[in-house]
Amino acid sequence: MAADNTAGAGLVAPGAGVIHDIGYQTYDGPRFGRGQIALALCWHSLRSAFGFGRGAKAKIVPVITFVIMCAPAVINAVVMALSKSHARVIDYDTYVGNLRVLVLLAFMAAQAPELVSRDLRSRVLPLYFARPIRREDYPLAKYAAFTLACLAMIDIPVLLLYVGTILQVHSGAAVWAQTRAAILGLLVGLMWAAVLAAVGLALACVSGRRAFSTGSVAIFLFLTWTLTNVLTKISEAGQRGGGGQITAGDQATSAAAHLFGLISPFTVLDGVRQWLGGTSQGIVADPGHYGFAYGLMLLVLLGGSLAVLVRRYAGASVA
Amino acid sequence: MTQDPPAGSDADAPVIATNGLTRRFGPTITALDNLTMAVGPGITGLVGANGAGKSTLIKILLGLLPPTSGAASVLGLDTAARGERIRALTGYMPEHDCLPPDVTATEFVTHMGRMSGVPPTAAKERAAESLRHVGLYEERYRQIGTYSTGMKQRVKLAQALAGDPRLLLLDEPTNGLDPAGRTAMLDLISRIGGDFGISVVVSSHLLGEIEQICDHLIAIDAGRLLRSATMSSFTKVSQVLAIEVEEGADLLAAELAARELAPVQHGRELLVLITGDATFDVVRDAVAGLGLPLTRMEQRRHRVEELFRDPGEPAGRLTGAIDGR
Repeated sequence: MAADNTAGAGLVAPGAGVIHDIGYQTYDGPRFGRGQIALALCWHSLRSAFGFGRGAKAKIVPVITFVIMCAPAVINAVVMALSKSHARVIDYDTYVGNLRVLVLLAFMAAQAPELVSRDLRSRVLPLYFARPIRREDYPLAKYAAFTLACLAMIDIPVLLLYVGTILQVHSGAAVWAQTRAAILGLLVGLMWAAVLAAVGLALACVSGRRAFSTGSVAIFLFLTWTLTNVLTKISEAGQRGGGGQITAGDQATSAAAHLFGLISPFTVLDGVRQWLGGTSQGIVADPGHYGFAYGLMLLVLLGGSLAVLVRRYAGASVA
Repeated sequence: MTQDPPAGSDADAPVIATNGLTRRFGPTITALDNLTMAVGPGITGLVGANGAGKSTLIKILLGLLPPTSGAASVLGLDTAARGERIRALTGYMPEHDCLPPDVTATEFVTHMGRMSGVPPTAAKERAAESLRHVGLYEERYRQIGTYSTGMKQRVKLAQALAGDPRLLLLDEPTNGLDPAGRTAMLDLISRIGGDFGISVVVSSHLLGEIEQICDHLIAIDAGRLLRSATMSSFTKVSQVLAIEVEEGADLLAAELAARELAPVQHGRELLVLITGDATFDVVRDAVAGLGLPLTRMEQRRHRVEELFRDPGEPAGRLTGAIDGR
């Protein structure tokens, strides 16, 4: 810091004379380096993902989607309290999967552009790149911020569900069982957030036009989600026609049905959860032997999206 | 937290120095060609047509692009090795629009100060300071989208000042401004370069503007240094006499040639070298002898535009010959 103080005093020299006292104050304090600047950018982006630091309008979508995400957990707590029941209505690890895929989709479609498209549209990027952070720091800070934002959307409801449940269970063993299940649920939430944030930002950064950006995220996620559901239903119906009743998770689920689950990032995530040992019934049939394909698809989605995101900014012009 | 020796504290050290700086893109495109120059403290004008290499130079100076060969230093720091530190100490104002419309000027400039490495509280203070200096103190809580072009230009300048730079790189800061806005912006730059003691490099294609505020002028063309000199040497009286006649320019040209003045036609004007007081008499006699209506006869000043004149053009050759003396 001492060195920076002298750097401030050194201002006299470039002017080759005296600084007249007209009120310009030099800054003699500490200066943060690249790492802390990237952190500051991450924090700023996280705030903007929920509309903080913007007008009231920017907060509408995040608040509504967050409330809807939390509603089942709150309802669960109320129901459990009123009925004095000890059984949760919802599972921790499939909270998002079963109930709120479309709500999360809406959040991502609305807020991913908030993080990346605005800067592209207003051409503010050169100002960032003319500052200490490097090219790759910008997309990675945005990715970290959006992962945290998605994590908040996914895991805060899970925590609420946990708290609501814990209040109604009294034996130590039951609390431990709930805690263990909740931790696994939170980890599944982290996986969802990490993958979906990358996919969402990679889709959003294609355009500086917010509408295109939102459309790109919404259409991709919704189409793949619908496609997976429709194709799965069709293949199930086909099997039903040829034989007995097929239920999701049934060993008899056809290979095709498993592959259809690879189309949507949401079902890929749920497939990986089950492949890794998750037992509760989710939004896709247990992939069984196809688990590795789901795992591979997840890595491709994550890696590919991050690569797209970083490359998007590698060539961004400054001057 | 960066602990560094003070940058630019040596009064003699150039703010920017390049040595044989060359940058090629592929085998055919040479953006900068063996550029060697030094920029001292104060306000320096950087002139060059589009494609002259200004953008490439700015990128190299900010350490964002490695030179193909040669070296450059900014504030005494090598651009190849110390880009991060240079970018912390340099404020950059791009030519194009770069402002988000839906945030207030205060928020934006504060954020940009933070991005320059200033801690949160100090960044807020500096944002208020910077906006005050550019004359936006009253309006600083308004969203940028509601600002006029001139006010937006001021915000762009304020964000460059937010990190308390030792050097400002301003790319066409008067672009899109009306005459009053231009004057105000030039005054501001002049104050920053003079009173604030921040070295400024300002690029412009409007040479008349640069003339007003710069101490030093650097002209680059096709990646090469065309000229680097103090402002006064650019605008001193030249040894060229411009003669304009209503009609009969050809006759006069022939007459002057016969009197060994070797005139050069440039537009409506005939240019001759002044070799002494006698030159004026010779021209007067020639015009009078032919009975031509003389409109104008004046000793030309060097104009910065002459820097860019195609050397193949007659007047350019004449100017070149005079410069060579």
